[in-house]
Amino acid sequence: MTSYIGRRVAYLIPIWLGITVLAFLISTLAPGDPARIYFQRTRGRQPSQQELQIVRDRFNLDEPVVEQYTTWLSGAVRGDLGVSFTTGRPVLDELLLRFPATLTLAFWATIVTVVIAIPIGILAAVKRNSVLDQVMRATSMLGASIPSFWLALLLIILFSVQLGWLPASGQQGWESLVLPALALGLGDAAVIARLTRSSLLEILNEDYVKTARAKGLSESRIMMRHILRNGMAAVVTQIGLAFGFLLAYSAIIEVIFVWPGIGRLAVDAIGQRDYTMIQGFVVFAGTIFVLINLVVDLLYMWLDPRVMLGRQRAVAT
Amino acid sequence: MLRHLVSDRTALAGLLLLILMFTAAAAAPLVAPRDPHEQDVANRYAPVSIEHPLGTDNLGRDELSRLIYGARVSLFTSLGVGVAILAIGMVVGSIAGFAGGILDGLLMRIVDVLLAFPSLLLALAITGMLGPGLLHLMIGMVAVWWTDYARMMRGLVLSMRERPFVESAQAVGLPGRLVAIRHVLPNIVGPVIVLGTLQTGRLLLALSALSFLGLGVQPPTAEWGAMLSEGQQYLASAPQLMVYPGIAITLAALGFNLLGDGLRDVLDPTMEN
Amino acid sequence: MTAFKRTWPQRLAALGLLGALLLSACSVGEGSDDESSESVEQKLVVGADEDGYTTEGAEADVGQYPLNVNIFESLVRMDENYEIEPSLATKWEFVAPNTWRFELREGVEFHDGTPFDAEAVKYSFDRVAKTGGGTPGFEKGGTKVVDDYTVEITPQFDNRRLLEQLVHPSYSIIAPDSNPGEEPIGTGPFSLVEYKRQQRIVVERYDGYWGEPAQLEEITFSFLPDPNARRLALEAGEVDLVLDVAREAIPDLESKGFLIAESQPGAYSAMYLNISGQKGYTILQDSNVRHAIGYAIDRETLIGGIFEGLATDEQTMVPSRLLGESGASEVEGFTYDQAEAERLLDESGWTMGSGGVREKDGEPLRLELINGFPSASDHGAVPEYIQGQLGDVGIEVEIVKTPDTASYEERLATGEGDIWMEQGSQNDANPLFLPALLFWSVGLFGDIGYQQLFAPGAEFDALIEDALASPDPEEVKQIVGDAMHVLIDQEAVVIPLAGLYRLNVLSDQVQGFQTHPSALQIQYNSVSMGAGDG
Repeated sequence: MTSYIGRRVAYLIPIWLGITVLAFLISTLAPGDPARIYFQRTRGRQPSQQELQIVRDRFNLDEPVVEQYTTWLSGAVRGDLGVSFTTGRPVLDELLLRFPATLTLAFWATIVTVVIAIPIGILAAVKRNSVLDQVMRATSMLGASIPSFWLALLLIILFSVQLGWLPASGQQGWESLVLPALALGLGDAAVIARLTRSSLLEILNEDYVKTARAKGLSESRIMMRHILRNGMAAVVTQIGLAFGFLLAYSAIIEVIFVWPGIGRLAVDAIGQRDYTMIQGFVVFAGTIFVLINLVVDLLYMWLDPRVMLGRQRAVAT
Repeated sequence: MLRHLVSDRTALAGLLLLILMFTAAAAAPLVAPRDPHEQDVANRYAPVSIEHPLGTDNLGRDELSRLIYGARVSLFTSLGVGVAILAIGMVVGSIAGFAGGILDGLLMRIVDVLLAFPSLLLALAITGMLGPGLLHLMIGMVAVWWTDYARMMRGLVLSMRERPFVESAQAVGLPGRLVAIRHVLPNIVGPVIVLGTLQTGRLLLALSALSFLGLGVQPPTAEWGAMLSEGQQYLASAPQLMVYPGIAITLAALGFNLLGDGLRDVLDPTMEN
Repeated sequence: MTAFKRTWPQRLAALGLLGALLLSACSVGEGSDDESSESVEQKLVVGADEDGYTTEGAEADVGQYPLNVNIFESLVRMDENYEIEPSLATKWEFVAPNTWRFELREGVEFHDGTPFDAEAVKYSFDRVAKTGGGTPGFEKGGTKVVDDYTVEITPQFDNRRLLEQLVHPSYSIIAPDSNPGEEPIGTGPFSLVEYKRQQRIVVERYDGYWGEPAQLEEITFSFLPDPNARRLALEAGEVDLVLDVAREAIPDLESKGFLIAESQPGAYSAMYLNISGQKGYTILQDSNVRHAIGYAIDRETLIGGIFEGLATDEQTMVPSRLLGESGASEVEGFTYDQAEAERLLDESGWTMGSGGVREKDGEPLRLELINGFPSASDHGAVPEYIQGQLGDVGIEVEIVKTPDTASYEERLATGEGDIWMEQGSQNDANPLFLPALLFWSVGLFGDIGYQQLFAPGAEFDALIEDALASPDPEEVKQIVGDAMHVLIDQEAVVIPLAGLYRLNVLSDQVQGFQTHPSALQIQYNSVSMGAGDG
């Protein structure tokens, strides 16, 4: 078991390095002179040649690209992601400052998804092909087609502007959380509901369940003991992955709701060509992702050892 | 197969929806009632009328015409990106699958790195850095989304290589390429079509999101995501400006999803989500 | 199915993780801002535009510019009619040939207890001198302490307009040896509580204020760059006052019971045309083309439609109230005359090609319009409207949007663009302020970015210099009027679009708010929170 974990972790290191290369590459894409932009932004005017050179030296901009990368990387490994071009403050500080907000949002969005999707998915699987099932499938199809940011705007119009029940922006108290979490969570709910349904259907058809039925165990007993545990394995990992993806799609939602998370920070940084922030963000988010994937992998393995053992079909109990 | 498809009503609905939208988009100059750039500020936020079936926007331009021309950009850009990533992904995946060894390892590491990061944000970062403009947007999207095809292609190639008929063909001495074309490819077409359809729907949603954030087309070009962003500004005066483009996007995405689902049931029932 | 035995430690771990996540989620959700509920008395929340403070170097101006949060004060103030009033200075006189003597107010203290005196004034102006001297032209050593409460200022060039320039918050008085970038310490009715870059700046009442004490206990200025978010925040009650609202939102807000505070025109929307010919941007060097642009625009529809009637057809750039009647009458402005525009273009050899774009020698008449000052969202649909209008006479316009002010200014410094769309504000009482700042070849601040692209030349410069040296404020207005005539009518470097006035929107709980044509002069002393209608 530990060797499996060990192998997974070792595999991730080159991935992480790749992410850093990617982050660095992206920031080299932009036209314009980063030194000049930095000076303009922090000092409010154009620099003289000397002042420009000072900035260039400070950020090692005259070194060859590969050297710049290694310098930056050695810093990144130690947690020093440089300073933001926009605010002048350490990138990592800014990210850590805002990360809890995104985490909160993603967490509650996941709760929304789970609370809505799982029961519906289960019901749909149990009452297969019934009206409820059809309705659920139609709704989830629709849910997967609606742009989440449009949904967000519609929610704002309805609950904020028309009804005045909930705030449209900012982060003050739990009320601010409702609309963004809903906007973010509903979109995924569609997908998760379908997945729950299909996972459950798969299991309901498996041999050991049929055997259990044949033995005469009551439906609910079967449900509890076998179906939930096994089916949930796939669903739980999907939720874990969805949680990770929520961290990404929350960017647009954060922009619309003016939610102070890292997604909005990234969008602002991209708009402002804040090179160091963009680099730092890519590494930061990438690292989080990689960690989440690792956790999800391990979780799946824990819940369903068949994966590790090579997916052997379980013999009927 | 086609018969099966036709009998699946939802898939059929999706197909018809797409045909309708693509045709309208392609034939925009014929279908659209007016010039989408024609301003008539005195007549802004006009209600539904015969002259303006969906009213006018904040500069008095005909909303329906803008939606139709917007379809051109949104739909065909998604399609273009879809085809590009298909080509790139398949080439890379094939090379990885056939070549194996170090090259395979390297290519798959690159894929993993790209996949280790939320696609939309990556596309946003790349496009944002490149600057505004539709071409930059397409580059950014292509750079990010080719990975799914690469993986799939490689998987298929690998599994095909082990198949008995391939081995026997190779034993007989048929060249690799011939084996590929005659035997491997037909088995790939199905999954590719399914993935392609569903993927294009997702590309459309991503494209709209990125346009909504201001990347991609610049005024006065009409595009659904950009129109949504404009509509948001005029929320108070004319909320309908925000509703129409959203419906358009949803319907198009729905079309892709319905069709893709139906195709999946027919072509590749074993495929996981 | 024995593989499924879950051990207790595993279950506990899972629950623990879940619990920790929940707890963190709750605490983050609620532990933030307390400013939300309106039931708290005497606390005002203002929705402001993007955070434009400079925090580093001698240019640091937190609390001063572009958002004046009443931490600092200047020697003098200006009222709605651009008349000068005493503030930290009580008397002043001009001493030939180029010196200004001010008598300072006694008994004033900075927020940290330091007494306000001539040393503080010297420190403040020497600091400005370090970065070029500003529009008044402060010089190192040019500010002399005569005694504790008397100071003499000698600018580095002949400057008769110093008094009118001092009202600008960039020349406000800061505590000696302090740095606004680290800790803003002023003499104003409010003192700093906290500044969170790009989020908010919070100030509280300073009880030791020398003047009319404030009624509010605390003001929070939230930085909300997106005008939509600002408006939504207002409607949702998260902010009580918004300093700038998109004009198209006004009718709707009014119908919802919000109060609109309108000021006199104090700003303008205009296009500056790049006549430098640098980097291939040569088309606008032709005066005919420039004038054609002026005539091609239907301002009536622009003001009625795009600005929702909430602007004036003032084409003087500098607010006409400041120029005075005779000064303002020097500027003719442009009428809407498509035929004239087309005639001028034809005359210059630009013939209409297929596809509706004019051509000359195989080159299309294509112009780049840069949209981004103060920010692209401030201009709303205006650039697109212009694009349409110019397209009607055969000029193709490509709109380039810059993401924020800094990028716009950077682009300006490199001079890549033909048409530059800006909203300018008259922020002091000096009619010369904008023309000298932007179009005088010599330039101010040592930074000649604008001048390189737009300076109309010797005739204009001479007028500016005359006005700078003239002792008679009335004469100055006349001269500036003449200068604007050169700038606008003759050279068509500036194409005015509309005169703008402040539109502040407030909830009905906000009482005693007084607006001002220059947002930088807004005082919050008189503001208090009432019960409103709920």
